[in-house]
Amino acid sequence: MALAAIDGMGRRLFAAPGRFLSLFVLAIAVFLIAAPLVKIALVTVSPQTITAWGDVLTSRLSPNLFYKPLGNTLLIGASVAGGCVIIGGFLAWLVIMTDVPFRRTIAVLSTLPFMIPSFAAALAWSVLFRNERVGGQIGFLQGLGMEIPDWLAWGMVPSLIVLITHYYSLTFTVIAAALATVNSDLVEAAQMTGASRRRVFFGIILPVTLPAVIAGGSLSFAGGVSNFAVPALLGLPVRMQTLSTRIYGMMEVGQTARGYVIALLLVLISAFFLWLGNRLITGRRSYATITGKGGRAKRFDLGGLRWPLCTLALTISVFATIVPVLVLTASSFAPSASALLSNWTLHYWLGESTPSIAQGLAGIAHNPDILSAIGITIGLGLTVAAAGSAVGLLISYSLVRAKRGFVPTAVSQLCFLPLFIPGIAFGAAYIALYGAPIGPFPALYGTFGLLVLAATAFLLPFAVQTGRAVIQQVSGDLEESARLTGAGFVRRLTAITIPLSARGLTAGALLVFVKIVRDLSLVVLLFTPTMPVLSVVAYRYASEGFAQFANAITVVILLISITVSLIASRLQAKSQPWLQA
Amino acid sequence: MNSQTLRNLSLALAVVALGPVALPALAADLDSKSPDELLAAAEAEGQVVVYSFTSRIKKVEKAFEEAYPGIDLVGYDISSTEQIARLQAEHQAGVTNADVVYISDAPVVFDKLLGAGIIGPYVPPRVADRVPAAFKQPLLAQRLSTKVLMYNEDANPNGPPVSNLWELTTERWKGRVVMVDPLQRGDYLDLMTEIVLQSGAMAAAYEAQFGKPIALSSGIANAGEQFISDLFANDVILVGSTDDVNAAVGKLGQSNPPVGFTSYSDRRDNAEEGWALQLANTVEPAPGIVFPAVLGIAEGAQNPAAARLVIDFLMGDDSATGGAGFKPFYVPGDYATRTDIAPHPDAVPLPEFKAWRVNPEKTAEIRAEIADLVLTLQ
Repeated sequence: MALAAIDGMGRRLFAAPGRFLSLFVLAIAVFLIAAPLVKIALVTVSPQTITAWGDVLTSRLSPNLFYKPLGNTLLIGASVAGGCVIIGGFLAWLVIMTDVPFRRTIAVLSTLPFMIPSFAAALAWSVLFRNERVGGQIGFLQGLGMEIPDWLAWGMVPSLIVLITHYYSLTFTVIAAALATVNSDLVEAAQMTGASRRRVFFGIILPVTLPAVIAGGSLSFAGGVSNFAVPALLGLPVRMQTLSTRIYGMMEVGQTARGYVIALLLVLISAFFLWLGNRLITGRRSYATITGKGGRAKRFDLGGLRWPLCTLALTISVFATIVPVLVLTASSFAPSASALLSNWTLHYWLGESTPSIAQGLAGIAHNPDILSAIGITIGLGLTVAAAGSAVGLLISYSLVRAKRGFVPTAVSQLCFLPLFIPGIAFGAAYIALYGAPIGPFPALYGTFGLLVLAATAFLLPFAVQTGRAVIQQVSGDLEESARLTGAGFVRRLTAITIPLSARGLTAGALLVFVKIVRDLSLVVLLFTPTMPVLSVVAYRYASEGFAQFANAITVVILLISITVSLIASRLQAKSQPWLQA
Repeated sequence: MNSQTLRNLSLALAVVALGPVALPALAADLDSKSPDELLAAAEAEGQVVVYSFTSRIKKVEKAFEEAYPGIDLVGYDISSTEQIARLQAEHQAGVTNADVVYISDAPVVFDKLLGAGIIGPYVPPRVADRVPAAFKQPLLAQRLSTKVLMYNEDANPNGPPVSNLWELTTERWKGRVVMVDPLQRGDYLDLMTEIVLQSGAMAAAYEAQFGKPIALSSGIANAGEQFISDLFANDVILVGSTDDVNAAVGKLGQSNPPVGFTSYSDRRDNAEEGWALQLANTVEPAPGIVFPAVLGIAEGAQNPAAARLVIDFLMGDDSATGGAGFKPFYVPGDYATRTDIAPHPDAVPLPEFKAWRVNPEKTAEIRAEIADLVLTLQ
């Protein structure tokens, strides 16, 4: 009797995802995202550590601990945003609006840099440009006899160049998508009434694409601000600190309270600018009223500039994508970066330990640390892809089907919160919460479980987005009919939603996989020697002067992430209408 | 029932009732065992994890596994600073990954690791009578290591190009003094701290160099702090690891090489790496610091017998040079704590070595302050 009653109640609850499911996904979101953030904030205001706020903000240490790194961070954010909008915007304009040759090639190349982890580009930079300033090996160009000045080898300038080449593909994608929607009627009307190209550009195209420009700019701003790998590899040797590298430094020497405070401040800063970007776009929403279907506008005739601009675009793309990959690959064979193309050896890949090379470090195939890191990294990628997709699907299902209300709004806000949080700060929050036992539950520090939880939470925005997209593709009518014939929630999910959206889900899962395999900033604080992941192992080798090993590992990461990205984009078969005709 | 059986019975009961509590008794028992007696238990454990502050652990790993084929030594090369942060975090999390902790940074280790019960001492009975008492307390010191001023002897065949530390703050050495960031490596922070603790000697050396008493800048409390501040103002180059210092200072064929603070023992790699590192022993008031490299056993170690075997192995065998276990450390610039291991013929003998001996307790007192000072200078 009682059992039957409970069973009946259970059915009702499942039948009404608006209640039980909403509360369940709210619990997940709180557990994964809200709890670590609340905990890190609470830790910094506990009596033993509250002085850390003063140390960071108002002591004689503050300039070096916070304000100078803050200045560098904001300079990086602003320059990266500007640079990315200019380069990404220029490429998008060329591809979509003009008759430049090799449009398709340029478009594909322009989306690639984001697939290459930013530390790969930074490592490639130092293979080429490293000079004698901080000892160790010199780079290729210095080896050729060129005098590489310090400002080109280290610090702000190389960091900016590397970050811009990494993030411009983001702005390219966003702006290209917006340009593709520019209503050709407007352009033609303007042209017929005799408006100059300049007039058309400033009067129509720019205003219509402005929201995309701002969105792309603020995304690359946030990317630059939170990036850890690039300033750590290119800036730290000359004492250029950003907030990310400061957090890492403080955590590594055990000054965790100061590290947490800086992490919180970094979250606030990066959230503020993303919010500002959003705000600007929202204010401009009126432009969205320019709608209606028109044919594709005639492409701008570049005339004599066709080939020069094409060459420029291809040069940018080649230097941002192909050159770093080639340089890293070459460097993983070359005993000395200054003679990149001579004396190649397979030692860094296949060699056994020899005392005379790199303190006896064995090549990848014989190095137990690297081999276990490969296993753990792939395992982590697969687990997070699976867990993330499952959680993402569940959450988006509840969001799409639920009525408006407090709980769905809270869930939706929480799930997208990680977008605003730099990886290193998120890692710090996870250590703050799960680094010690909670009640009867053991601490997760140093476990695979902690990596999975943190990575799943960090990538939840992408997983939820994927989930939303696929669920919206599946018509609600199908669900409705199934429900009328008595199918339960789980049945409907497994018999209708998942099979129908398998392709999209798989593609989304693969992207999550790639994101975690090439991530450094999130895992760099969660790393323990007994639970190594590839990107951190590469970073550590790089900072200890074993560049070839770092580069060889990075090539492995590149191979994994490019292969999987290509599979994902095939699966997704994402239509890119602006590429046709 | 006599009192003896009663005691045995109650002991047995206690063991049954308080299973986990019996472990320390077992550990104490292990402490008195010889390597031969430890071997069976160690082989049953099969594995042992060592956190080591030196990359030479890879050589130890090879030698150990040759000596004890049944035991897999897993050695991790982790800097002392990072070991401390990791061991604290692991302890807080209730996780014990390491068995043996091989570490420098004694000032912090004694206070934060030993004092907090994260690691415990172990002195192998086999060598106990051949190590001076000072090196057995509070943790066993395996050897003395150094952070001292080194120069390129290929470019300076007539001896050190520097005779007084204060020269490093002058125009001639601007941007040409290399060391590891003291905030990243505790050994270097200890060096900075010792310079402050030796402020009397630093003030005297200042007067010897510049012919006038030292005048302190505002906010600077003593001659040692003034030196650190002037050194940073003179564009000292901070790098990530001692190998970067060695390469910058030691690489052959440089016409005007920098000088740098690094390990005296890295001179061992001169031939292999193409370096010409040499100790600037004559520099006033002292070339740097000499400090102990200590060994401890992680509290709650999963492989307690094998851990003790590793420490016994690291202390060297009964030959004059310490045999396979000590071989990676029998190099010029490392000083064995065992009285019966012959000093290395190619190094300055310890009594003539002018570096300051670090005093862990005094260093611990002001170390955090010096770290903050360095932070303000960067």
